Amino acid sequence: MKISSIKYLTGEGVKNAWVNRLMTLASIGVLVACMVIIGLAILISENVNKAVGKLEQQNVVMAYMKDYNWALYGEKDTSSDAASADTDTAQEGEASPEETADANGIKPGDYVIHNDEEAQALCDKIAKLSNVASVTYVTSEEGLESVKESMLEGQESYFTFLDEEYGNPMSGAAKITMKDMSKFDETVEQIKQMDGIDVIQSQNDLADKITAIKRGIGIAGFWIIAILMVISLVIVSNTIRVTMYNRKLEISIMKAVGATDSFVRIPFVVEGVLIGVISALLAEGLLYFCYRVATETIITTLNTTDIVHYGDVALLLLLIFIGIGVFAGVLGSVIMISKYLRREGSEFAAI
Amino acid sequence: MAEVFTERENPSSAAPIIEFRGVSKTYPTGTHAIEDINIRITAGEFVFVVGSSGAGKSTFMKLIMREEKANTGIITVNGFNLTSMPRRQVPMLRRTMGIVFQDFRLIPTMNVFQNVAFAMHVVGASDRDVRREVSKALSKVGLGNKARSMPAQLSGGEQQRVGLARALVNSPDLIIADEPTGNVDPNMSYEIVSLLTEINKRGTTVLMVTHDHNLVRDFQHRVIMLERGRIVADNAGGSF
Repeated sequence: MKISSIKYLTGEGVKNAWVNRLMTLASIGVLVACMVIIGLAILISENVNKAVGKLEQQNVVMAYMKDYNWALYGEKDTSSDAASADTDTAQEGEASPEETADANGIKPGDYVIHNDEEAQALCDKIAKLSNVASVTYVTSEEGLESVKESMLEGQESYFTFLDEEYGNPMSGAAKITMKDMSKFDETVEQIKQMDGIDVIQSQNDLADKITAIKRGIGIAGFWIIAILMVISLVIVSNTIRVTMYNRKLEISIMKAVGATDSFVRIPFVVEGVLIGVISALLAEGLLYFCYRVATETIITTLNTTDIVHYGDVALLLLLIFIGIGVFAGVLGSVIMISKYLRREGSEFAAI
Repeated sequence: MAEVFTERENPSSAAPIIEFRGVSKTYPTGTHAIEDINIRITAGEFVFVVGSSGAGKSTFMKLIMREEKANTGIITVNGFNLTSMPRRQVPMLRRTMGIVFQDFRLIPTMNVFQNVAFAMHVVGASDRDVRREVSKALSKVGLGNKARSMPAQLSGGEQQRVGLARALVNSPDLIIADEPTGNVDPNMSYEIVSLLTEINKRGTTVLMVTHDHNLVRDFQHRVIMLERGRIVADNAGGSF
């Protein structure tokens, strides 16, 4: 197509939108409303995701290790007798070396963590699991402190008593956070299977809730966007249809003098795209204004700053809006004009 | 126009510009609009097509423009075989002809110049060519001084002359005029047909559908008479 034709057809498209301005304005209004709702759905979803992400980070899993000291817990005072008894047994040569328990009754087959290096190595092994976001080694001392801190005053003294009387009741642990809460149970199972892990403490009900919330938001967002996309398409198609019937005479003359279908179609596509792009720009501005007002109120009222900044999603939203506008504009006009040219575009009987 | 000739059957002056061989057209409703028509119109002819309502004149024109497709027979127009021509080639066929409508079909929001220029924009002419050719076409029909007038400011005859300028502006080989005098007074009718005759003398083939027997008698051109979809007369010199 020649440049002069492109220039002419683009001009015709813009002229169409202007001549048909009342309908154009109505379409822009509805499209802006659809886009703002889509934008709000995205912003709400982003904010909920941020909040859920924070919850996810807080939802830690504690994997307690088979600590050597913890294995002996409660037998502190009898350890010397047990050691002498074992020594005697070993001297008698009644058991094989593999099954022989050491002085504390721990057999070599029992996988236990003897020191911080071994504990750290186990943490590194856990960190290699694909769904594990972070692993921190918590020593038994740190674990006890943490437990005491979380206790009420009377309960705390019980742990102090246990520590003084029998030694630290806590074993070393790996503090784990996960990437995807929907794979929570699967990951916990993988950790459980590891040698050296004794017991796992987790809040899998919270994980389930987080997963459910995320899934719900995803589904709701998808349907809101899908429905509004269809509405946008119908609106633009209708505007194009009105323009098309207004220009029936021109189309009939165009076809009679040898215009190709694409030549007839282009001004309508230009009109549709123009409506889409103007709507996108207006929706972006309107959403920015509304979101700013809303977030300022939320920040002041709830005294929180955990809110997605508009600037972080502004470009994404603009691209989405322009995408919707252009998609609806092109598809709406192409569908309408193709249908018209195929069924009704008679040159003689056009009017 | 080079593109136009790529699929044409090498037109030459000896070849007919319009040829119907055993052409019939029946609409899906069962109406037999055209039945077994054989006709040959050579380049440079002026032909009147006459007939009462329902005789098949409109279908005859639609077949030439390839707005309708014949059920049987072969139609050749301007070197295009309309029977085997794919739909995408139809615009190329139409660029070789100019069409004048009974109801003028001028766009009311465009002035005279823009209405004529419109036909050139459709074929992708440059702005310079548009300015030059539109002025020439308007001068030919005697409306050089009305370029900026709006259609509503013109008389019926003037409006039809704008329609004629639009049909001429792309220098077609063939002008198809569908009752061009149907909406104008008798004096203006003579003026319109005189203009068409002038155009025909310069080498353009003219095919004009009319109900006006006086015009047919006075202008003394070949007359094809249709009745119930068949050619009942094909006479030279305005007799029928």
